[in-house]
Amino acid sequence: MAMRKPEADDTLSRMHRQHAKDKENDRVETGSFPVVARKPKRTSSLDANRNKARLITNVFVVLLCAMLGYGYVIQLNNTRSAYETMSEEELTRLISETSNQIQQQEQRRDELQEQLNSLQEASDKQQEAQRIAEQNEQTSGILSGRLPAEGEGVTIRVTHGSIEAVDAATMFSLIEELRNAGAEVIAINDVRVITQTYIADGENGLICDGQTLSSPYVIKAIGDSQNLQNAVNIAGGVGSRLKVKFGAEVDVTSSDLVKIDEVASVPQYRYAKTVE
Amino acid sequence: MAAVLGLIIGVVVGIFVRPDIPVFLQPYLPIMVVAALDALLGAARAYFQRSFSDKVFVISFFTNVITATLLVVLGNQLGVGSQLQTAVIVVLGIRIFSNVSAIRRFIFRG
Repeated sequence: MAMRKPEADDTLSRMHRQHAKDKENDRVETGSFPVVARKPKRTSSLDANRNKARLITNVFVVLLCAMLGYGYVIQLNNTRSAYETMSEEELTRLISETSNQIQQQEQRRDELQEQLNSLQEASDKQQEAQRIAEQNEQTSGILSGRLPAEGEGVTIRVTHGSIEAVDAATMFSLIEELRNAGAEVIAINDVRVITQTYIADGENGLICDGQTLSSPYVIKAIGDSQNLQNAVNIAGGVGSRLKVKFGAEVDVTSSDLVKIDEVASVPQYRYAKTVE
Repeated sequence: MAAVLGLIIGVVVGIFVRPDIPVFLQPYLPIMVVAALDALLGAARAYFQRSFSDKVFVISFFTNVITATLLVVLGNQLGVGSQLQTAVIVVLGIRIFSNVSAIRRFIFRG
């Protein structure tokens, strides 16, 4: 009873509560689920830690890439001193190779030096030979009458004999006398006297090397002028014979510069050959 | 982004600051550079495969460099330094090529 009493007393309030509940249930939309509450957000301290870690790794990435680029550039600048990066073995190999090369080059240089020496020697010899040949050419040119010559000498003028025409034998002996006296180059009128020169008697006077000589005969001789003069003027010599026998005037003039421009053509040797 | 920034910074610093590399480090610097390049390209490949991880990159960078250098050091001590150096360069080169080709496939497949 005691229990019931308050219940009965409370009937009104119970109905009231029931009504309120009903109202509330009426307002609830059927078929929908109650919203599940979100998980509570992480605490701010954890969040900060994560951000910090990400920042640190980013910094690491930047740092590592910077190291890579740095090392790359350094190595680029470093490749010039290639020897420093070589191992001992490579260096010794390099040295031996280089010394080998040096030896070869030196050998080659010696060979070339030898060649150069022999070539120089040969060229010296050739020069010497050429010098001698030039000398020979000069002397033999003068001797054979190929070259004009000048020098100290005499000019002898022999007029046509008043008693008798000057004959070839006398003229030849005059030339021989001059030669004996050391005449190096002789010319009669326009004819250069060489070893093969002949003088013959012709109808209109003397013939010398195929050319008719006309008087007065002018004989030019290069040599010691005193000797030549003496050779002609000596008593009983060819000069006096010319004067006495032929009645010719002989006029010997010595001069410091006798010029002989006449040249003889070089004979072609048909039979004579040089002995090698 | 950070990688490109770091590369640029490193190159610029390298151009303007030229310290003397210690002699004992000089033979290993090219190996280090190649190993680091390999690590960088591996990271780029991972980035395209969306499996890039900062930590993995940092670790792989260091392990690559240190392994390559140690191999060459070992080779030098055993008297096969140049051969081993060649081997390391070849392997890293192959890896770089494969990484580059993977990146190329990702780029051109879109």
